[in-house]
This record gives sequence, C-alpha cells and structure tokens, in this order.
Amino acid sequence: MPYYGSEETVKELKRALSNPHVQADRLRYRNYITKVIRYMTQGLDVSSLFMDMVKASATVDIVQKKLVYLYMCTYASENPELVLLAINTLRKDCADPNPMVRGLALKNMCNFRMPGMIEYIEQPIVAGLRDKASYVRRVAVLGCAKLHNLQPYTEIDGSIVNELYALLRDQDPVVVVNCLRALEEILKDEGGVVINKPIAHHLLNRLKDLDSWAQSEVLTFLLRYRPRSDDELFDILSLLDTFLQSSHAHVAVSTLRLFLNLASAHPAVQADALLRTSAPLLATCSAASRELRFAGLCHVQQVMRSQPGLFATHYKRFFCEYSEPSYIKFRKMEILEELVNDENVSLVLEELRSYCTDVSPELAQAAIAAIGRIARTYSEKCLDILTGLLALKQDHITSAVIQTFRDLVWFCPQSTAAVCQTVEAGVDGLQDSEGKQALLWLLGEHGDQMGSAPYVMEGYIDGLKTELSSTVKMELLTAAVKMFLCRPAETQDMLGRLLHYCIEEESDVCVRDRALLYYRLLQRGVEETRKVVNGPKSDPSMSVLTGRQGEPISEWASTFNTLGPLAGRDSCPQTDLISAADQPSNSAEEELLPGSEDVTLSSPDDTEEEISLSLGAPLSHESFEKMWLDLEILHRQALGVSRPRTAPDTLQASLQLVKIQTLAFTPGDTVPWKAYIYTRSSGTLILAELLQGDPQAPGTDESLVLSVKQQPVNQHAIRRFVSVLKSVLQTLDVDTS
Amino acid sequence: MIGGLFIYNHKGEVLISRVYRDDIGRNAVDAFRVNVIHARQQVRSPVTNIARTSFFHIKRSNIWLAAVTKQNVNAAMVFEFLYKMCDVMTAYFGKISEENIKNNFVLIYELLDEILDFGYPQNSETGALKTFITQQGIKGQHQTKEEQSQITSQVTGQIGWRREGIKYRRNELFLDVLESVNLLMSPQGQVLSAHVSGRVVMKSYLSGMPECKFGMNDKIVIDKQGKGGTTDDPGKSGKQSIAIDDCTFHQCVRLSKFDSERSISFIPPDGEYELMRYRTTKDIILPFRVIPLVREVGRTKLEVKVVIKSNFKPSLLAQKIEVRIPTPLNTSGVQVICMKGKAKYKASENAIVWKIKRMAGMKESQISAEIELLPTNDKKKWARPPISMNFEVPFAPSGLKVRYLKVFESKLNYSDHDVIKWVRYIGRSGIYETRC
Repeated sequence: MPYYGSEETVKELKRALSNPHVQADRLRYRNYITKVIRYMTQGLDVSSLFMDMVKASATVDIVQKKLVYLYMCTYASENPELVLLAINTLRKDCADPNPMVRGLALKNMCNFRMPGMIEYIEQPIVAGLRDKASYVRRVAVLGCAKLHNLQPYTEIDGSIVNELYALLRDQDPVVVVNCLRALEEILKDEGGVVINKPIAHHLLNRLKDLDSWAQSEVLTFLLRYRPRSDDELFDILSLLDTFLQSSHAHVAVSTLRLFLNLASAHPAVQADALLRTSAPLLATCSAASRELRFAGLCHVQQVMRSQPGLFATHYKRFFCEYSEPSYIKFRKMEILEELVNDENVSLVLEELRSYCTDVSPELAQAAIAAIGRIARTYSEKCLDILTGLLALKQDHITSAVIQTFRDLVWFCPQSTAAVCQTVEAGVDGLQDSEGKQALLWLLGEHGDQMGSAPYVMEGYIDGLKTELSSTVKMELLTAAVKMFLCRPAETQDMLGRLLHYCIEEESDVCVRDRALLYYRLLQRGVEETRKVVNGPKSDPSMSVLTGRQGEPISEWASTFNTLGPLAGRDSCPQTDLISAADQPSNSAEEELLPGSEDVTLSSPDDTEEEISLSLGAPLSHESFEKMWLDLEILHRQALGVSRPRTAPDTLQASLQLVKIQTLAFTPGDTVPWKAYIYTRSSGTLILAELLQGDPQAPGTDESLVLSVKQQPVNQHAIRRFVSVLKSVLQTLDVDTS
Repeated sequence: MIGGLFIYNHKGEVLISRVYRDDIGRNAVDAFRVNVIHARQQVRSPVTNIARTSFFHIKRSNIWLAAVTKQNVNAAMVFEFLYKMCDVMTAYFGKISEENIKNNFVLIYELLDEILDFGYPQNSETGALKTFITQQGIKGQHQTKEEQSQITSQVTGQIGWRREGIKYRRNELFLDVLESVNLLMSPQGQVLSAHVSGRVVMKSYLSGMPECKFGMNDKIVIDKQGKGGTTDDPGKSGKQSIAIDDCTFHQCVRLSKFDSERSISFIPPDGEYELMRYRTTKDIILPFRVIPLVREVGRTKLEVKVVIKSNFKPSLLAQKIEVRIPTPLNTSGVQVICMKGKAKYKASENAIVWKIKRMAGMKESQISAEIELLPTNDKKKWARPPISMNFEVPFAPSGLKVRYLKVFESKLNYSDHDVIKWVRYIGRSGIYETRC
C-alpha cells in the first residue's frame, strides 16, 4: 500500500540512515533498517536507499546484517552495479570466524540471482564445500545448484560434481541430502544424480539419521536403483522395513512406493507391504488436518485398485463427519462404495442413506449415485432405500434417483421389474434436464413393463412448447419411437403430434433433424425401424462381472505418492452420474449401429427369429435327474475354455444373469469337475452338463466339454444357448486369468 | 521442490510472499487469489492446479498459507511441511493471525530463509532454529558472544536439538498427556467410530546432557515384561495396559531402541517440545454419553430432550462442558429448561448452546427444549446435524498412564531423585458427535 507521502518517507529514512549519530547508536540504526524492511514488504519502493543499505551491511551486528541482506536480495536485480559494492563485504564475511556469518553471506550471495555475480561467487562456494561447519557446507552445496541455475547452458564443472559426490559421505545428514538435491539439478540433462550400489547402500544406512522431509526425498531418489540380485533386494527391503511403519505419513507412503517398485517381481512381498502400510495410511485418513486426510484417502483409493479387500474391516473409518469439507466426503463415499461386502452392506447403506438428505445437493446426488452402484451387487436393499428417497419429494433427490435407476437397469437387468414398478408408482417434480432425460429413457426402453408409461409420456409431449432443453426433446423423440414399437395403439397419435411439432415448429436444428430421421425411418416400415432402434437393453459387455477385479499393482505404483492420485482424476464424482461409460441415452449413432458384442451373441443365421432364454419355474433335483436319464444327448462340443476359477457364487450369479439356472456342481477343485445347468427357450427346456476331465488323463485337456439335452428339440435354441454360455464363460475366464 | 510460499489474509491480500525458485513468476501470487480465495464456490480440493503450477493450501483461522510448486511433488509431505511451518511460527509468536503476522514479518522472513533453502526443507526444529534466528524477544536481540560461539558446537555437533552447557538451579520436568477423544455415535447409542489422538508434551529444564527414559502402560511392553517376570505384579498391570495403534516420536527418541526393546529413551531438547504422538482405537473410555430425543409435533413444533451422562470416577470433575444442539433454520422461538448450567438459543449459530461449568463423574443431567418453527414453503427436510459436545476431563480417555520417567546425567552431580517432576493428564473433546 504505497502512501501518498511515500517520497517524503523515503527521504526521511535516507536522512536518518546517513546521519552519523544514528550510525553510532547500534539500536537506533537497526530500528531504521527494520523500518525500511517494513516499508519494503508493504510495497513501498525503497530501492533508492540501496547505497545506504550497502553501507549498513559492513557491521559486526549479525541482526543488522541479516536485515540488510534481506533488503539486498529484493533489490539486487534493479541495481546491478551497486551490488558489486556489497560484494566485497560479503566476501569478507565468507571468511568470518563465526560459521553463521559465513553461511549467511554465502547464502545471500547465491540468492542475488544475477549472472554477473558468478565469477565472484564461485570461489567462496568451493571454499564453503570444505568448510568445517556443517551449516556452511549445507549452504555451499545448494549454492552449487543455484550457480548452475544462473547459467544453465554452460558446461558442467566436473570438479564440482565430483566434490558433491564425495560429500555424499558427509557426516551431517542435511548436507548429504542437499548434495543429492544439488546433483539432481546440475545433472538434470544427463538424467539426474546416479545412484550406484555403494551410494544406494550408504543412503539406506544413513536413512534413519535424516529428518522426515529428507527421508521422503531420499526414498524417491532410491527408486532409480535396481538391485542386482534377489539377495541384495531382500537386504534392502529389510533395511526399509522400519520405515514402512513410520507415522509420518509421507515417509511411510514413500517407503511403500519404493517397496512396490523394488519388489515388482515378488507379488507376495508387495501384498505384505501393502498390508503393513495400511495402519499408517488409515491413521492419515483420520488425521487432525483435513488436507492430510484428503491425501491419505486418495492413496487408499490407489491401493484399493489392486487390493479391494484390504480395508474392508475398517469401513467405519470412512464414515463422513458432519464438519468435513465436501472434497473429503466425496472421496470417502467412493471408498465406502468399494468396500461393501456381505457383512457390512446394511450398515454402509444406512450410512450412505443419511448422506442422501445432506444440505448440499451435490453431495446428496453423489451419495445416491453411490447407492446405485452398490445396487449392482445388492439390488434389493438398495432399491428399497432409493424408493424410500423418492417419497421425500425433493427435486434434486428425485432426479438423482431416476438417473441412478437408469444406470442400474442398464448394468443390472435383473432389477428392471422392480425399478419399473417404482417408476410407475409415480414420479413427479422432475425439474432438471438430466432427470427428465433419465425418466424418458426408462419409459422408452422399458415402456412395455409400465402400464401408465404412455400417459406419462403424453404429459411431456403436451408440455413440449415450454421445454427449453434440446437434449430432453431429443430423448423424448427416441423414447416415443421406442414406445411406439412396443405399444403402437396407445402411442401412435402422440408420436404423430410430437413429430409434427418437432419438424414444423421446432427451431433447434438438431432436434428437427432427429425428428426427420425418425420420420423417414418410420416411413420404411415398422420392422425396419424396430431393427434399427431396438438395441440391447442392458450392458452387453457384462461389466458388472468384471467391475470388481483388482488391477495389477504396477498399474499405479509409478504414480503413487505423487500429485497424480490427488489431481489425476476429477475430484468431483458426480460427473460419472451423467457420463456413465456407455449410456446409449444421448447418442443416436450408437443405437443405430449394432454393437460389436451384439454380433457375437446373435446366431450366424440371420433369417431365424430372435430366440431368448428365460428362467421359468425352477426344476427340482428329482425331475432334472429323471429327465436327464430319459433324454438323449443332442449336442456335444468342447467349449475351448477352461473351468472358470471364480467362486461358485459368482459363477451361479453370472449364469443367472443370462437366464441360465444352475442346479448343482462339484465343489472346490475336485477333478473331474461337473456342473448341471438348465434353461428354457421358446417353449423348450434345455438341460446341459459341463464336464472338465482329469488333466492328467490321456486324451483330455483343460477345456470344458458341454453336453446338451433338450425337450422338445429345437436346434436354433441350442445354438443360441451354446453361444450365450460360451460368452459368459469366456468373460469369467478373462477376468480370473 | 517448493517454489514459493505465500501467506494471505481472508480478503486475499498478500501478507508474506517468498519466492525460492525462478520458475514461479510474480503472477502466481495473483493466480491463487483469483482462482481460490476469490472463487465463489467452496473449496474443491486442497490442491489446485493453475496453469501447470500446483498450489497446496491450508487455512488457519482466516489466514491462507499456500505452497507453490511446478514439480510433481509428494503432496502429503508438502502439507505436513506447511503444518510444521505453522507450528514453528506459533512457537515464536503465538496464534497465527493477521495482526501477529504483520507484526512479525521480519521474523517470518528470517524463518522462511532458514527453514527452506532453494525450496528444500533444511531445518524445521524450533529448538535448533533458535540459534539462527535473531528476531526473538529480548533475549534474541542481545545475543552474547558466548551464545554465538555455541552455535559452532551446535552447528557441527551430532545432537541438533540441544545445545551444550545448559544449567538450571532447579532441575524440573513437566509432563502433560494431552488427548483429544473423537466420537461418532448413532442415535441408538451405537459407537460408529471412536478414536483418541494423544500427545505427550514435555517441558524440561534440566542441566547438562541428561538421558531420559520414559515408560507407559503400552500393552506390548507390559506383555513382554509379564512373560519375563520382571514386573512385581504382572497380572494387575496387564489388565490396565492399552493398545496403541500407532505412534510417532520426536527426533530425539532412539527409534532403534524402541523397535528392539520398546523402551523410549532420549536426550531431551531444552524447553517445551512434543515427545510423542499416538492414536488408539480400542477400549476408549468415553467420558460422556449423549442421549438425544427429538420429536416433531406437527409442522411447527419440535420437542428436543437431551440427556448427558458422565461416565468416569465420581471423584473426578469434568470442566468446560458445552453441548451444542442444532436447531432448524426456520426456528422462530425456543424455550429451554435445564437442570444444571446455563442454556441459550443462539439464533446466529442455529443452535442451543448449553454450558455447564463443572460436572462430577457418574452423574447425569438433562435439558429439554421446545422449538417453535415458522411454517415455510420449503419442502426440504431439515438435515438434522449431529449434537456436538466439548469438555475437558482430568484423565486420559485412552487409559494411558505414565509409569515412570527417569533422568540420568552421568557428568553432573544430580540424580533422578533430585529432579522435580510434574505429570498431568488432560482429556479434551475432539469431534465428539452424536447423531439425532
């Protein structure tokens, strides 16, 4: 804040500083200098006092020296000629008997950042490297780096580099670390400081003497070192062991990173390291400071990418506190959602439910989306909660719930019936366009299961004139066409009105084009339209099955403990609610082009009608056995895939997903392994046996052999069944291998 | 590493700006102000990336501290460093406030100069810093020749945290066990999460270079001794031991000895310092239990009854008890009746604040309030924030007990018995919340 009377003030100070009486009185002199510094930080230009201040630097008073140096560093670049005046004093100080004075002078000389100074600085720095006081050595070592920074393109001075490498053996820990830092900067173009075996082991042995900042940095430098043999590797790991439990979070995490990188060939060691670091990581997650908590949570998320179960027992640690800032709450919810298992599911859901009514709409929506993702595994409980939330009749909650429903139905077709029932029971008060789009998509895609769907849609068509969002209009068009295909009688009239409005009156080009597209498509005939518009009703890649697999540690180990985990992903999770990976809702192209997955699922014969599998009434063991014995084997083939190594429950669940019921299978790893399954399809009942023979026995291999019996015979259905079964087993096989 | 450090007041005015590296331009100071401090919405993340420059910021009361870097650094380290900075500043001039910072800016620049050099952390121990810092009250201004010569020994010596030749007429030791107990409880009284984070803070005024040994009722030690048969009554002490989840020590503690024998031995710094920091999650003594009862009577009335029960020895007294019962935003009036203490509805804070000066153990007290609400059109349900509590109790909720603290000084002629020792336990509430 420059004052109006600033010139006056500066003049006054100048007078005072040059007054011999003031100069004689040490305290008064120092007081004036402090005043100068104060004005300087307040933004007043006191550079005209440079001469007087340089004079003041020639003093024995160390306090005064410091103040003057502070001043000089700020204004040095503006008065390059005058700085040379100070150089002499500084160089004299570099030979002072007091190590503090020596260090101070050296540090400030390096801080002037003026290329013209180099010739004067070089010699004191080299002398400083050999100083007997470690304080001076610390300063001198970093001085080398500063020197290099001033003239980045000149050749590197080999003698200084050698001297720095030698100083790695210094007894003062800070000097050692400063050497590493300086070498890293000087040799940046050559790939940084070289860590060979003696240096690596020396650093490892000194590690415990360093302060925590230095430990962290040294551990990062050590990442460059690759041990030659396994013996050496394990020696290093055992040296590092104690640091893994360090309760300075950053040291523990740095150690973990080094561990993971060193032991990349030993997954068991990596897993053990992760397990033991979990305690300090968890401690960081409940640290007193929010920022550390945040950093801890981000790292927990990284670890969970490989070891989803590691923190499962500690799920309560990730419950949100009321006063936490939202960035922590978002992360905690993401983690909670990952940690859900059979034991804690009800408590976690209870917790998430309480966040759904949070005052912050963003947070509430994120919580609802999290419940939606849990619903892919635990549909029933989650659906109850979501349905309950609808009863609150709050706009932002309703909208988020509907969007969650849409995603859920897409990924998890079993829940369709329940969702349709809920949606039919009444959804109103949707205000935002995302919510409307989601509702319309549900109506269009599953309108056949909702009695009142056409009437709800009619409401939207009637209100079209007041609708502002063009994306909603486009969704409405798509949904109306889909609805027309399954319930033509009720929809024909309103579809006509909708198309008429969109083509004749709509001003938005995209909407008009979309309407025209559907109009022309409908002109080609209903069957044609049906082929184009009706795509798969659920996620064809079955990502529900693949979703919870652990990634290999090497995927993230390289970015661990950097800024990556904190900033790499968008920190606001509510975005994936909108951009859920492969939602067909907005893109007409995707609906028009049959997905590549779809081709593999449908049978090669194009003329045959679509045959779908269904579950029907469950078969009892006795009736299955009786039929199995009565019937002939119609079809036998080797599937070319081996038995999925997943848990029996997963296998059963995934088969159920494609409407194949499991009757029984051999437990565990017993050989030969058998499974009996059945399904219904267009009026026939298909029974099948999966058999994996003894791999030791001659003539058999790992592949599963499928035998199918059917009543009554329908070859198309069998072909369909085989292809579905095969794709499921392949999916599971890819996941587990 | 750290390219620069900025301190702002709540309006975004720069109080301190220290740039260590040339890659941080002058506009970085303004970039942070515009993008974070003056941004309308709430803080999205403590790390903000603006034009490939990362800003790590923390807030103390209404002061913003930001560390700036262009490199990909270890985030946890930068944050911990910022806290350390705050600790050092607090040790020098007390609370971090705009006024204090303005009054001490020369000192702060001096500190920043010593703590970081070229952006690399150098020396962050308050004790060791003292010799390099000239600006510090009266003592610092008249630094004698003698003291300056001691710098040499300290600067070159092995023990960075203590200088030699300290003498006291009375050798005294003060030991404080300070704990903060955190709780999150469901309305049904189920503990959702609870942990104690504690600190052992020592003030030592000891002559020479004493060697200290500190013992507490850590479960691992006690079990070990119990097996070895060295304690006189293993059965009894085993029962009272506590399980410490994790702990950190001041750099003076010999970690190798702690790892092998679990004994905590050290040469203490002079003056006040934090010996250790620990955390426990098991068998926590929750000093207070809060039982809330909220009943909605129609649309415009709410009845709240809260009972607090103290759960510790009747001979002990808890102090500074404060219960904060949140009220809905559309509250028009509140009638409160409490048996003990004083309760008041504070409209500005949307809460009923109930204060009790003292309360003995094994007692209970209750408050009931009738809250009248204004009818609103807003259909939004009231989110019911949790009831929070503050208190201070004269024991350690984790159950930690100091078993001994021995002082050995071989060169000077005073023994363990001559040292006057004071031990004090203070348990405070951290975030102590019960949902209602």
